[in-house]
Amino acid sequence: MAHPIETSSDRGAMVTAWRRRGMGYCATADLSAAGLQRAADVADRWAAIAEQCGVFEGVDLHALLDTRSLPDARSPVVDALPDRAVLLAMLREESDAMHPDPRIVSWSARLAVTQREQWLYVDGQLRARQSSQFVEPNLEVTAADGSKSQTRSLAGQYNGFCQQGGLEVIRASGLVGGGARIAREALELLGAPDCPSGPRDLLLMPDQMMLQIHESIGHPLELDRILGDERNFAGGSFVDLDMFGRYQYGSPLLDVSFDPDIEHELAAYRCDDDGEAARKVWLIRGGILQRPLGGGLSRARAQARGVALEGTANARAVGWHRAPIDRMANLNIEPGQTSLADMIASVEHGVLMRTNVSWSIDDARNKFQFGCEFGQLIEGGKLTTVVRNPGYRGVSATFWRSLAAVGDPASVEVLGTPFCGKGEPGQVIRVGHASPACLFRGIDVFGGEG
Amino acid sequence: MRARFDELAQAIETGCAPGEFACATIEAERSEFVRINGARLRQAGRVERAVARIRLVQGDRQAIHQLTLPGLEPGVGDLAGAVHESLAALRHVLADSASDPLLDVNRDPVQSDDRDRHEGGVVFDREAFVQTVRDAAGAADLVGFCAAGPLARGFCSSSGSRQWYQRERVSFDWSIHLPGDATGGGDRKAVKASWSGSAFNADEVSRAIADSRRDAQVMARPVMRLAPGDYRALLSPRAFADLLEMLSWGGFSARAHHAGQSPLNWLRSGKSTLSPMLSMAEDLDAGLAPGFQADGYPRARRTALIDGGRFADWLVSPRTAREYHLAGNAAGDGEMPETLRVQPGSMKASDALAALGTGLSISNFWYLNFSDRPSARVTGMTRFACLWVDKGEPVAPVEAMRFDDSLYRLLGDQLLALGDTAVLMPAGDTYDARATGGIEVPGALLGAVRFAL
Repeated sequence: MAHPIETSSDRGAMVTAWRRRGMGYCATADLSAAGLQRAADVADRWAAIAEQCGVFEGVDLHALLDTRSLPDARSPVVDALPDRAVLLAMLREESDAMHPDPRIVSWSARLAVTQREQWLYVDGQLRARQSSQFVEPNLEVTAADGSKSQTRSLAGQYNGFCQQGGLEVIRASGLVGGGARIAREALELLGAPDCPSGPRDLLLMPDQMMLQIHESIGHPLELDRILGDERNFAGGSFVDLDMFGRYQYGSPLLDVSFDPDIEHELAAYRCDDDGEAARKVWLIRGGILQRPLGGGLSRARAQARGVALEGTANARAVGWHRAPIDRMANLNIEPGQTSLADMIASVEHGVLMRTNVSWSIDDARNKFQFGCEFGQLIEGGKLTTVVRNPGYRGVSATFWRSLAAVGDPASVEVLGTPFCGKGEPGQVIRVGHASPACLFRGIDVFGGEG
Repeated sequence: MRARFDELAQAIETGCAPGEFACATIEAERSEFVRINGARLRQAGRVERAVARIRLVQGDRQAIHQLTLPGLEPGVGDLAGAVHESLAALRHVLADSASDPLLDVNRDPVQSDDRDRHEGGVVFDREAFVQTVRDAAGAADLVGFCAAGPLARGFCSSSGSRQWYQRERVSFDWSIHLPGDATGGGDRKAVKASWSGSAFNADEVSRAIADSRRDAQVMARPVMRLAPGDYRALLSPRAFADLLEMLSWGGFSARAHHAGQSPLNWLRSGKSTLSPMLSMAEDLDAGLAPGFQADGYPRARRTALIDGGRFADWLVSPRTAREYHLAGNAAGDGEMPETLRVQPGSMKASDALAALGTGLSISNFWYLNFSDRPSARVTGMTRFACLWVDKGEPVAPVEAMRFDDSLYRLLGDQLLALGDTAVLMPAGDTYDARATGGIEVPGALLGAVRFAL
């Protein structure tokens, strides 16, 4: 049955006061002149306190401000979204296709569309104006039989498929016709054996690669974590300031980019929320660590410690009620040259896994354990038995060095997540991850118990 | 905040057309947020925000609009105009909406007003807070976060319901890091602590920071690295809470049980059991959460969830009650306990290390997730003070380890003892808004935890 339609409107201002050695903020939804002035006064009071005992010794905060106006930016919309009634009918059709069997005990089809208008003023000058439209479709179905149950989704139960754009995003997501497919796969998994345990080659499809990139490349490269800001909550990093430019992060096949220019990827933007213009840069090239995910403020703090780093324009806030911190944006693995078929053919004893369902990693972003919705054995170079509850463990610092093949452009999918959590106070933000399928050798895999 | 809520309620009443019913929940806060790194101010500011979730009902159809109010103070902006615009937009949405057979909202004019004694508000002295923390930290590398100020929840309806909950709260949690832990890389050596109250108390916070600095001293010893395997473990109340909070993730939700997504399906069906020592309930008497839910129904004050290791009851929202023809108990839509209280056992704190003997003393877990939900198998990491204990004496910090084990084992035959004192820990979550609720649990002694990495 249809759940009630929900809409939302949220409008407010984040006013930030930048003294030369301290900053403070105040977020308010009172957008009157008096309300904004009051917010500025509160922000400046905090800035004054920070100036006395902040972390900005040796940093000239005013040098980071840029008032020059940037061109307006807008999400690419190829085909405008149809009327709400048409979208509802589309969801209804998929929902109806998701319960072909009494063992299907729950199913859902949903769509979230968010339009965001963001203006950034620096010293009274309009620095940037950006309009975005985020489209986040998903399908999810659970099959159960006795004590067993299996859930399958479109690209992850936490909206792995999400992009900027219009109707073309829904088309590309596989939502249309996806309901019957994932119901069929959930039923297949219900009758499948558990994934075997032990070392095997591991072929990760893009809707698991996105999580692997996110947790074990993205978070450890955030410069604010490396500077210690998150040690009380989200954690630090196994990466330190000395590693950039020389550390062998992965095999020579590993190329990782920060790419805000892929317009339909979820976190494409013209400039970050501190006003720094964004451009594509390499974080890891040929397996060697190049630069952190570090906005201007974090880089200036590192510089004050005697470490000059190139970074990225990634100071981001989830909305007007939170202050910017270093975040991932579009963080991608660049395609390689191996076809998916060739990767499968090269595996004697392995597992293909797709669609993340479980994730956990230590506070330095090193020891991880991830689980997927769907697994399939690879034996003698061929895909064979479907297996349920597939999972694997590893250590970031060594895992990426076992990267043996990177899929060609045909295997790339542009995915992401609307739910990247971090910060104090907490922020859940949208990030994009594009990746090809990737093959890793000799990984510790396992299955479930039930 | 209450005055702003009354304005919202008035606007809901005046904006509702004949034959319609409208209601709204509100979440409001005026928060001072302070981040500290290296005992210095990293990021600080204020957030003022009130979000109303307005629901319009026509017959058996409903639609919802979430609206950020134009400021917290009464009289600021055109609140009535914004609410009436929202209702007008919802009428258009209803034209596209199907009937909702699960629609259930309380239309009774319920009145309640639950505020703490600081009704006039408490001024958070920013300078005093920062100075207190810096003085108490001294040369220690303190990393912390403070959220201070009032937070509120409300429900109002066009039929005259006015339910209100407001608290003044200061929550400060921090960690003390040893040298070598200032930047990335290296061994991580830190201890975690927290303090909360309705108003900032400099003396109490100073003492608590001093205690945590003392606790950190044992972490200076060389780090031990243990091989994967089974280890006897003593869990602090915080670490035990981290485990039990996984049960809240669908364990007590009637909807999750019916949807095949509950980690406690096996307990309810009798396929698996938990220790008879384990009893827990959703209990609102701690005052950490409002006594009403988003459909306007007063919450049950106490719902036994697990009694002597057996499944006692689940949480049933009005919507789930209709969908599965169950008796409801006015749970929130998420059907998660807001204040989970666990009955303590008999292990005295002074005897706990001796009871552990040789094994791990774990202060915190981190990043828990289900590795196999039907079997309640959970994976996660140790974090902060994880110590190797030999014959009742702490020996050395242990490198962060990953466990992967079933809660049916850990809370079943491996649960050897519960502490004799349950500790109340208010929720510290600040995603989107400061959370209400919390958890009250004792420490626990486990016979073996399976570590995998």
